[in-house]
Amino acid sequence: MDFSWTEDDVAYRNDIKTFLRERLPENWNGYDKSNLTKYKADSIAFSKAMAERGWLTQNWPQEYGGQEASPWRAAILSEELWPIGEPRGPQYMNVNWIGPAIMVAGTEEQKLYHLSRISAGDVCWCQGFSEPDAGSDLPAMRTRAVRDGDDYIVNGTKIWTSHVGTADFCFLLVKTDINAPKRSGISILLTPMDTPGIEVRHIDGFVGEQAFHQLVFEDVRIPAAYRLGEENRGWDIVRRALAFERVGAAHYETGQRILRATIAEAKRNGSFDDPEVQTKIGEVFAALEAARLLTYKVVDLRAHGSPPTADSNLSRVAQTTALRMAGELAHLVFGEEGLVAGSGGDIRRVLSFGVAAGTTEMQLDQIASNFLALPTKV
Amino acid sequence: MDLTPNDIQRQALDAVDRILQRNGDTSHNKKLVEQVQYDEGLHAELAGAGFFDLALTEGAGPLDAALVVERIAESAAVLAASGTALVFPMVTGETAAGPVALSNGQGSPFRMGQFASTVLILDGDVAKRLDVRPGDVEPVNNDRTGWPLARLSAAALQRAPALGPGKGDELRNWWRTAIALEAAGAMKGALRQTVGYVKDRVQFGRPIGSFQAIQHRLAHLTVSAEGAYWLGLEAAYRGAPAEAAAAAAAYVTSNAPLLLRETQQMHGAIGFTREYPLHLWTMRLPALQRELGGLTRHARDVAKGLAAGLEAGSARVAAQL
Repeated sequence: MDFSWTEDDVAYRNDIKTFLRERLPENWNGYDKSNLTKYKADSIAFSKAMAERGWLTQNWPQEYGGQEASPWRAAILSEELWPIGEPRGPQYMNVNWIGPAIMVAGTEEQKLYHLSRISAGDVCWCQGFSEPDAGSDLPAMRTRAVRDGDDYIVNGTKIWTSHVGTADFCFLLVKTDINAPKRSGISILLTPMDTPGIEVRHIDGFVGEQAFHQLVFEDVRIPAAYRLGEENRGWDIVRRALAFERVGAAHYETGQRILRATIAEAKRNGSFDDPEVQTKIGEVFAALEAARLLTYKVVDLRAHGSPPTADSNLSRVAQTTALRMAGELAHLVFGEEGLVAGSGGDIRRVLSFGVAAGTTEMQLDQIASNFLALPTKV
Repeated sequence: MDLTPNDIQRQALDAVDRILQRNGDTSHNKKLVEQVQYDEGLHAELAGAGFFDLALTEGAGPLDAALVVERIAESAAVLAASGTALVFPMVTGETAAGPVALSNGQGSPFRMGQFASTVLILDGDVAKRLDVRPGDVEPVNNDRTGWPLARLSAAALQRAPALGPGKGDELRNWWRTAIALEAAGAMKGALRQTVGYVKDRVQFGRPIGSFQAIQHRLAHLTVSAEGAYWLGLEAAYRGAPAEAAAAAAAYVTSNAPLLLRETQQMHGAIGFTREYPLHLWTMRLPALQRELGGLTRHARDVAKGLAAGLEAGSARVAAQL
């Protein structure tokens, strides 16, 4: 057991910091997503620059162009990129789990086609998971794919899909056997977003620009060759992918950034002298530190070659709890100024975190059954 | 970064577990608590095997001592483990000759005082060392639950020599780390007992642990117990720097009250009996919550440290913001 970074890790972090200083404008704080063309072009330019340095897919196996770098490097990268607004844009998903899912289950053609694009940093994906009647109960999805010769005919609706406006492909979950037990009839289609028949509807929300979309599939013809893995066996691939997704982003560092801004504001407006505010600052910091260490535990398991465990759910709950605490404290300290859009005290920044990437309730269910081995059946 | 115990740490923990198991189950610890007795046999065995020397042993260090302290706390053994194995060696540079207790020097009740051969005292900001003589400490009635408690006499406090400049901060930081480790062990022990109970306890025709109303609460408590464990270990590994130690203590004192309340609640009435062992862990938490000023002091010290750090690096931090 050793809680220190290697010299190599420290040098790597410094290299990233230097790269970010050179690459991004001073005080850069995330992309303006109201201009999707520019957003996509900038995120691709950034990802390509990372790819040129060998950083974009450094954790991938060598046979797919990676360096088999330690998972700790991915953690360091996430700690540096996530709190400033993730300059890779949606491409963090490609690297963290879409690419690895294709490595595990893809055909040689799929690997050659998709992995080369992902590792070059010039392709964007979205994930077609949730449906109007299948949120936390994802296997209850109804979007159907019916085989017709060499194609599937897809009908149904996906919802709450992020990153649609920039996506070239969708990691689409469909039901290929409606009579099978819920988790057994699911397949994955690696679907080009320019396929005729996919209708994109923007859903106006208040927790981030371009956050929500509805994808409507009406007799969309998708080649069966685009299916990832065996027919009806997509759920196992998805479960594995979700386990990786949950720790892909260092949200605790976002929380620390919010906390630093909150302390600066508290010093400025005098509320730092309030013992209650000081106590909450200490509690938030401690909660963020606990979230960091519980996330490190997951990284460590991966570094030791362990398959995904419920530790990733513990990490996620700890991160959600801590980030919300940080947001609520900021809301308190910024006072009425926190009501202004874009303010450091804007509570909207942390509200959606317990819903995205699997609700907190689902994480708690997983902890109960897989970490505590509590009985799930009567 | 490597959060997996190395071979030596694994062997040490296995050996500690064997000693703890051989020493006795919860019945043994219940009996000691009821009779307000110290586990002298266990102390002697662990000391003889070198587990109280780990913090200063070449090839080991405070992290190894912390791992052992947490494991002892998880077993609810009646020992002054953290004072003896971690705080005393790290603050004095010596191996403890006997049980070491920690007092705030204000005459208020402190853990294990009546069994200590040495008491480290944090008198304001000054660290003192008292080699205990008869009459120095007076046992306190704690209704035979939780830690045995005692008070320090005014004369003993006056007699105790100061340890030297800077030692007050060192003692505070290591003590806070010890609070986190003792509390992490007690939290994990109480949680394990409760998880076992809700799997067995049948009401409405099903184990109460199958109800989501119970499951989600236990899952939240698991996050806080595991978080406490890792914060305590990291603080020890880093040599108990002020901010990490205060944050670890703040975390456990912030989360322990809920864990105490919930684990007792899920047991119903049986949890309040002396016969049932839950109290061995839960009733230790209130004392740990109170030490060194409790949550408010720990958390405010974190906040002041963060604010000072931000001011010191204000230009750099402003750029980061």
